[in-house]
Amino acid sequence: MFKKATCFGAIGILLSAAAFADDHMDSMSAEELLPLAQEEGAVIVYSFTSRIGKVEAAFEKAYPGIDLQGFDISSTEQIARLTAEAQAGVTNADVIYVSDTPVVLKALLETGIIASYVPPRVADRVPAEFQSPLLAQRLSTKVLMYNEEANPNGAPIDSLWDLTREEWAGRVVMVDPLQRGDYLDLMTEIVLRSDEMAAAYEAEFGQPIDLDGAASAGERFIIDLFANDVILVGSTDDVNAAVGALGQENPPVGFTSYSDRRDNEDEGWALQVANDVAPAPGIIFPAVVALAAKPNNPAAARLVIDFLMGDETETGGPGLAPFYVAGDYVTRTDIPPHPDAVPLDAFTAWRIAPAETAKIRAEIGDLVLTLQ
Amino acid sequence: MTDVSMSRQGRRVLFRPGTVLKFVVLALLIALIVLPLFRTVLFTLQPDIIKAWSDVLTGRLSTNLFYKPLGNTLIIGVVVATGCVLLGGFLAWLVVMTNVPFRRTIGVMATLPFMIPSFAAALAWGTLFRNDRIGGQVGWLEGLGLDIPNWLAWGMAPTLIVLTLHYFSLAFTIIAAALATVNSDLVEAAQIAGAKGRRILMGIVLPVTTPALVAAGSLCFAGAVSNFATPALLGLPVRMQTLSTRLFGMIEVGQVGRGYVIGILLVLISGAFLWAGNRIVSGRRSYATITGKGGRAKRFDLRRARWPLFMGAMLILMASTVVPVIVLIASSLAPSSANLFSNWTAHYWTGLSNPSFAQGVPGIIYNADIVRALTVTLALGVAVALTGMTVGLLASYTTARFREGWASAAITQISFLPLLVPGIAFGAAYIAYLGAPIGPLPALYGTFALLVIAGTAYLLPFSVQTGRAVIQQVGGELEESARITGAGFFRRLVSITVPLAIRGLSAGGILIFVKIIRDLSLVVLLFTPTMPVLSVLAYRYASEGFGQFANAITVVILVISITATLIANRLQAKSQPWLKD
Repeated sequence: MFKKATCFGAIGILLSAAAFADDHMDSMSAEELLPLAQEEGAVIVYSFTSRIGKVEAAFEKAYPGIDLQGFDISSTEQIARLTAEAQAGVTNADVIYVSDTPVVLKALLETGIIASYVPPRVADRVPAEFQSPLLAQRLSTKVLMYNEEANPNGAPIDSLWDLTREEWAGRVVMVDPLQRGDYLDLMTEIVLRSDEMAAAYEAEFGQPIDLDGAASAGERFIIDLFANDVILVGSTDDVNAAVGALGQENPPVGFTSYSDRRDNEDEGWALQVANDVAPAPGIIFPAVVALAAKPNNPAAARLVIDFLMGDETETGGPGLAPFYVAGDYVTRTDIPPHPDAVPLDAFTAWRIAPAETAKIRAEIGDLVLTLQ
Repeated sequence: MTDVSMSRQGRRVLFRPGTVLKFVVLALLIALIVLPLFRTVLFTLQPDIIKAWSDVLTGRLSTNLFYKPLGNTLIIGVVVATGCVLLGGFLAWLVVMTNVPFRRTIGVMATLPFMIPSFAAALAWGTLFRNDRIGGQVGWLEGLGLDIPNWLAWGMAPTLIVLTLHYFSLAFTIIAAALATVNSDLVEAAQIAGAKGRRILMGIVLPVTTPALVAAGSLCFAGAVSNFATPALLGLPVRMQTLSTRLFGMIEVGQVGRGYVIGILLVLISGAFLWAGNRIVSGRRSYATITGKGGRAKRFDLRRARWPLFMGAMLILMASTVVPVIVLIASSLAPSSANLFSNWTAHYWTGLSNPSFAQGVPGIIYNADIVRALTVTLALGVAVALTGMTVGLLASYTTARFREGWASAAITQISFLPLLVPGIAFGAAYIAYLGAPIGPLPALYGTFALLVIAGTAYLLPFSVQTGRAVIQQVGGELEESARITGAGFFRRLVSITVPLAIRGLSAGGILIFVKIIRDLSLVVLLFTPTMPVLSVLAYRYASEGFGQFANAITVVILVISITATLIANRLQAKSQPWLKD
């Protein structure tokens, strides 16, 4: 009996010691983490972008002796993989770099598979909304883009409601919202912004919106968009090629990533964002970095997140360089906006609130399902 | 007293020929396939997920969620399976039984389409037939000024054509192996009796090859209904959904419960279809055609039809092999995915890292991961082919020799299951199943063994079905006489059944090797940092918009596959009488 109690006591002390060690690490600076991280010697990162390859090279150069193993795995796969790994009782990744936050919050954070971490060094330079519940490293987009070559005087439309007009029948392209989570987030945001959609309708057609059985102005828009033969494809690159390809007389418009504009030259595209579309061209959403709940390399993992948030040079140095491109918005307030992109405060896309999105996302998915 | 008689009876049941074997095989299949899948079913029965069943089957969403995709799926399954058996059968007949010119070339080319990923074929279709529906670059034919209607550019018609041209080589491999074993005595007897070619075909050849035809049709059906890439690429722009695209989408947007339910229903429905096919075969008593004597019959003389039939065969083969390969190679060389045939560069193959090009990613031959991934991939291919054919041989031998009883039926049905399970779901099931330690067994997560076991289970339908079609034709009389002279089970298997069935078994082994080295969906969840495989590398590039690197790796996989087939053909030359003149 006595033995057992001692045993439990010992376990309790061990557990709290481990918890203490982790808490303790949360407040350590990069310099303090470094020797511990070098002792660990390696760190594994799951990343939803292949740019992790560049981070890997830069990180190993900055911190010799720590082997960063970066794995490019899509957000959906990360969620499936981390869930399966948790069920199997295995922790493989130390750092998780992922988008698809509405699902991530529910499936990974609430279930305790991943944990939040904000490097103390940058805590005062990242707005509170991007620190909780998970730290956002940058913002990415799904917005309406048009073909600049065919429309040299600017976007051919000025309101999202234009997309439901006869002249745009069969000429709006997007990825199937039931195949890519970020497009479902876009549809959801349109519904969440129903008031703005209703106002934009009145501005466009000169009369108040007739919901005609739809639950909201946002739903009315989605129904009309599908009735107007919106074209669904399988990937954003298909959208980019359809909208952006040079030499088209009457190109479609489509929802895709603003930052894909960086490939215009390589791919022969003329993609440009329709930033002045009322009420907004689309959504802007966070790409978050988090720790595994019980990382195998806790110090090195924190060091990687610190590195990913950029150093003290003007544009964040090598850790942030792969993400300092036009169309991606770094969350750190002291990093100047990229000169070739619409500045964030002038960018009219809606910021999604992942927790709000998560509430009605499945419902909007069902709506889209009935329209197909 | 009663005890003694009971145990005697028990012993008789136990030692009835095949009982032990049946149960060993059944236990193996349950461990490999049923248990991991059972976990998936349990998952959908959890209290907060069970509603997915009513959503899918009866709710207001069910029409779009399930019934419409189901209709499309069944059309695809039935039409593609029929088309594949006809095309594959026609080519197999030409190669094995007639004097068509260049039989060897046709025979080799007919096995190639299956090695080309179906997305490459779908991509090739787009390159040629794409119209202006989704904007961007139009296809080659529209570029020539032709007006391609929507039904020919998108949706059901191209999906059926592309899938048929992809899967028919599967049917060809199976049917050719079976045709080559048709007993010459029967054909010669018919010829002596004055029967004409058509009569011999309908009266002898077709009936005795029925098991192979059904096996081929079943494999093509199952492959077609679970294919994702082709309907996704060609069907989406006209909103054509199949159960597999629906399933993928549901998992993609986080509605895993509904996704699994659709997956389970896909398994059940396809299972019912395949069961019906299986019934037709097992209704017949015997298909034994390779017996202790008899040689090759002389070939049918096609006379004036020789060259026209040759041209027909070549047309099919060019469309299904040469065109997709050209598109694949071109897209590994062209900087712009829209202009496949301009500004070619070898950068994606041999270029050094250049910051201004492809975001500084070097060509694949300078990629350090590639060599390691290549080694792991090849080792995986060989290991899975060996283990797969061993289990496949045991299972097909058991069901062919001891076909009575529920255990045999169960073996057949279970061995088919993995074909209907989307790879990504199978992979997830396996991580949950073997990822953690089971009793004294260590956790297999991240080990080569896990890849091999999951790969073996996933591809068992191919090994079992190809083995079965061949073994059913090996006459029982040879084995019977060996048993009378006192040979044991393993002796009989090794000295008689395996040598006679080696052709069909190797064909199955090649299929498995080729399938596993280019498989993505299964390994995408199973791969770990220490176990990279080529297809995952390719996928990593493709997902970040570096389609060229992905296609270059796909070409590497293709070259390995084709080399494997040619080597196997050479090794088998002695046992391929249908290629001899």
